[in-house]
Amino acid sequence: MRRYRLRETALILVCQIGLLAGLLAAWEYATSSSKLSAFLFGSPSAIFGFLVQMWNDGSLIHDTYVTGLETVLGFLLGNVIGTVLGLSLWYSRFLARVMQPFIIALGSIPIIALAPIMIIWFGTDLASKVAMATLSVVVVALVTSYKGAMNVDQDQINLMRTLGAAKRHIFTKLVVPSSLGDIFAGFKLTVGFALIGAIIGEFMSSKEGLGHAIFKAGSLYVIPKVFAALVATIALALVLSFIVGRIERLLTPWRQVP
Amino acid sequence: MPSSALAVAAGHDVPPLRAEALRKVFGEEDENPVEVVGDISFALAEGEIVSIVGPSGCGKTTLLNLLCGLIPATSGTVHWYGQPAAGTPKAVGYMLQKDLLLPWRTALDNVTLGLEIRGVPDGVRRQRAHVLLDQLGLHGFADHYPATLSGGMRQRVALARTLAHDPHVLLLDEPFAALDFQTKLLIESDTARLVRKERRAMLLITHDIEEAVSMSDRVLVLSHRPTQVKSVYTIELEGDRMDMMAARHDPRFGDYVAAIWGDLEIRPQ
Ligand SMILES: Nc1ncnc2c1ncn2[C@@H]1O[C@H](COP(=O)(O)OP(=O)(O)OP(=O)(O)O)[C@@H](O)[C@H]1O
Ligand SMILES: [Mg+2]
Repeated sequence: MRRYRLRETALILVCQIGLLAGLLAAWEYATSSSKLSAFLFGSPSAIFGFLVQMWNDGSLIHDTYVTGLETVLGFLLGNVIGTVLGLSLWYSRFLARVMQPFIIALGSIPIIALAPIMIIWFGTDLASKVAMATLSVVVVALVTSYKGAMNVDQDQINLMRTLGAAKRHIFTKLVVPSSLGDIFAGFKLTVGFALIGAIIGEFMSSKEGLGHAIFKAGSLYVIPKVFAALVATIALALVLSFIVGRIERLLTPWRQVP
Repeated sequence: MPSSALAVAAGHDVPPLRAEALRKVFGEEDENPVEVVGDISFALAEGEIVSIVGPSGCGKTTLLNLLCGLIPATSGTVHWYGQPAAGTPKAVGYMLQKDLLLPWRTALDNVTLGLEIRGVPDGVRRQRAHVLLDQLGLHGFADHYPATLSGGMRQRVALARTLAHDPHVLLLDEPFAALDFQTKLLIESDTARLVRKERRAMLLITHDIEEAVSMSDRVLVLSHRPTQVKSVYTIELEGDRMDMMAARHDPRFGDYVAAIWGDLEIRPQ
């Protein structure tokens, strides 16, 4: 059984690599044989060239670091604020009902519309990007954690009460841990949202970061460099989600049934 | 032990639990309120096991929830040791058909949950939990998460959790329904022994008439909704009443089962 699963995993990996290689080869062929304009579409080899160049002049590491830092800070801030608010709404059904329209209103604002205000309030440096990333995260974190808290089994609450639990016991020993699943599902979503928020912030006004690199290369029509910075962005997103997945596994050991 | 202290203070002739003219109507303010519990009175004496059987949906779980204060009664009173109930009584162990184990806690930590809430020191509660798990045949499984235990083992962990704070009265809602026959007989016998030897009291809700007859001193048969006590059987069988297999060998066993079957008048709803 285990062996079979291992073989399937290997097969999936081979197919994924094959698909990627095929796509890149077709792209390279199309642009080098001028079926596709290399100026408008770049080419894998040109993109690779820019990646090497950006690595050599240090901008690849620096921009990735800057965007990564903004993303991580916004992710943490947004999730802490959102989760604390979402879980505490469990405490008061009244407050939850009062807040509901405001939460829906906040959730429906396109984050990009807030970018100019954030730049005005927090300046053109790190803080405004962190604010953008935080805003992209906070409502999702609030809604998922509140949903998690409200989904707690009523029988389980009754059981806690028969064991003599006060509301705070029910909150700390039941509601919080049983919401962890939803909260972590939220983490996996919001890591991407935080990155998008940070990059939108960088698009608006910035001196550094991957969003800045994409924006600058784009306005100068250096398409392969746009793609090179995009590759770095994707790599950053993959690394961050991998880390979130690892932390989830570490914090929820009961979920791994041997 | 606060429960036994209470019992002594109240005197031994005061039943641990007494319900009088208990009624429950759901949605009283609505257009069509549902009267679930009609008018129920009964008492549970010390050392006694009473079973409640009744048609599906007649209000057994509702009755149990009324008794332990999880929902308010429409009218009537519940007395614990002669005192009018205020909220969920402390000396009660409540157990449902669902084991309701917390998946993020190991077997041991599930058993200690109630003790933790009551502020019992860590060392004491771990020791108590180990003793209970060993007694219930779960030696060596203390550190397992519920997901890695079988249904029967989970149910035993839930029973250990119910017993951990040394409740004087057990209110059990179909706790053994999910078990295979052999495990069921074992756990039933364990539970009966515990109640009878330590002079506790137990109210057992069940669909299993043989379980009701083999375990109990009395069986209350409830009617359809709004439910009332339709008949009461005092069960007299040979032996010490702690062995569920032996109970089944008594010739009167079959008569009780047949009579209760007749009373239940299974009819399509
Ligand atoms: N909160 C509630 N509001 C309205 N009706 C309810 C509520 N809780 C239970 N009922 C109704 O009361 C009736 C009895 O429910 P209850 O769960 O007590 O039955 P039961 O005898 O335990 O059934 P079963 O044998 O299937 O466990 C059901 O018809 C149910 O729909
Ligand atoms: Mg029921």
